[in-house]
Amino acid sequence: MFKKMIDDCTVKSPWIYHINSGSCNGCDIELVAVLTPRYDAERFGFKLVGTPRHADIIVVSGPVTSQSRDRLIRTIEQVPDPKVVVSLGSCPRSCNVFKGSYSVEGPLDKFVKVDVPVAGCAPKPEAVIDGLALAAKILEEKRRNMAK
Amino acid sequence: MQILWFLFYILIFPGFLFTTFAGLLLAGIDRKVLARMQRRIGPPITQPFYDFVKLMGKETIVPDAASRTAFLTAPVIGFVSLIVTAVVIPIGNFLAFRGIADVIVIIYLLTIPAVAIIIGGASSGSPFSGIGISREMVAIVSYELPLILVLLTVCKKAGMMLSGGMTFSLSDIVVYQFYNGTMVSHWAMIPAAIAFLMIIPGEVGTQPFDIAEAETEICEGTMAEYSGAPLALFELSHAVKMFVMTALFTSLFISGWTTGSIVLDTIIVLAICILVTIISMTLPHASAARLKVEWLFRYYWKIVSALALVSLILVWCGL
Amino acid sequence: MKVAISNLFSKTDCERYPYVPKTAPEHYRGRIVFHPEGCIGCGICERVCSPQAISTTVVHEEDGDRITRVFHMGSCTFCQTCVDFCPRHTIEMSKDYDMVVTNEDDLKVTGTYFKAAKKPAPKAVEAAKPEQTAAADSAPEAE
Repeated sequence: MFKKMIDDCTVKSPWIYHINSGSCNGCDIELVAVLTPRYDAERFGFKLVGTPRHADIIVVSGPVTSQSRDRLIRTIEQVPDPKVVVSLGSCPRSCNVFKGSYSVEGPLDKFVKVDVPVAGCAPKPEAVIDGLALAAKILEEKRRNMAK
Repeated sequence: MQILWFLFYILIFPGFLFTTFAGLLLAGIDRKVLARMQRRIGPPITQPFYDFVKLMGKETIVPDAASRTAFLTAPVIGFVSLIVTAVVIPIGNFLAFRGIADVIVIIYLLTIPAVAIIIGGASSGSPFSGIGISREMVAIVSYELPLILVLLTVCKKAGMMLSGGMTFSLSDIVVYQFYNGTMVSHWAMIPAAIAFLMIIPGEVGTQPFDIAEAETEICEGTMAEYSGAPLALFELSHAVKMFVMTALFTSLFISGWTTGSIVLDTIIVLAICILVTIISMTLPHASAARLKVEWLFRYYWKIVSALALVSLILVWCGL
Repeated sequence: MKVAISNLFSKTDCERYPYVPKTAPEHYRGRIVFHPEGCIGCGICERVCSPQAISTTVVHEEDGDRITRVFHMGSCTFCQTCVDFCPRHTIEMSKDYDMVVTNEDDLKVTGTYFKAAKKPAPKAVEAAKPEQTAAADSAPEAE
């Protein structure tokens, strides 16, 4: 009975942690704009937390640079299960214009399993809300599978 | 038979279940009203319930550099002491455990949750927690002084009428208000009431006084390494502390009436608590930025203590 | 503080997105729409694309080439340079902004067209040309 209650509540309050691994900050601004009064994401329970240990959804923006690669992998490992990784923008997808640069290691798929890609450069806040809603549903499924 | 009644008081009525429910409800209303003040829709009122249940389902990670026992028992200590405080506070005309020196017990018990946060942060083994606990210690020192001054004022006022001296019992304070009208109607107590309203957000640890748990500055400070069930207990004690402080305000300043049935009394006390929360916690949260540690100290020791001292001097002169 | 209290009693400013659909404003640069029937195969868009998101595959067939252009939305910057440079205006950007996918292929916009090869000129025309030039040469010689 408690398991069912926990599973039902997992989709209603997902907490977000944002990592910027070398991005141009355009996607970061769109993510923070989602939490402003115009496109209020808090009505679905989303809350921006300050430490990866409290988070459920990790939002990564920017291509993976050599300097941030180790730290990115270590930070994502610090997040407790169940967790969902969302890649924001087209930079984590395919390094966009930074392809082939001397300090860019590659797309995010090479290092971490990405659950929800949100494409766009930068994605509109409505598209970000869609991506976060899909991530919350995947989080509930992962929580159900974790209990088994 | 008496033991069963005591167990009922501790676990259900003004004890575990009731304070959990009331605290989470107050926290939800606080978030919703804050969102409306910022012209957005905001989370549903039951959102803290969802948060608590979700956190119980997350994995608990204990870092390598942390000492395991202190890390896991700190939130339990804080929560249990809050429940004990809640059992001692009168609701309407009903008091579960009466004693001779309730107020002194409350002063001691209210420092334990803050100390539990410090223990939890110190045993986390992360530099963010270190900064958090030093700031929390400064915060404790700064709001203890006005709190004690306000409690002394109320006790002296109630004691002068009943025995000529001082009384430290909450039931005596309720009886005094029953005979002489609520404390707020005596004009000498109004500065003390305002000072207590300013102490509430500092004690609870909500913005603009949440220097120990600053979210964006130091990665949540003392709670940086917590996850899962211990974090759920910390969030729960944060919410229950809101209820305990507002219920204390109600019983110290606006008590003495009774409608005859416990259920109606509880509902009216809850309504007053909601009003007090909105005035003292949500309004400053929506209008001001976070105070720095030095300013927090100066604010509490100069302005709030001055208000409480004015009331104390007036009461001691016989007014 | 006055603003906070007055806001408490006024309506919210919030856009209720998922329950009320929202269209992007005019001239919004969204997903690419490619009309392959006007493409002439010049390849300017591929050269000009800054993240190199356009790729072409050519399959030689009997009497021509089947050319496929793929626009990868996961790599596109939406800068509209390909739209500006295309000489036949076959690329345009729609207002579709919702690109959250679970399948990689949904992000690729493709268009295929068939480019017929140039027919070789018939022999009669070639033979007529030297006759014509011979006639043209002989005419001035005659004069």
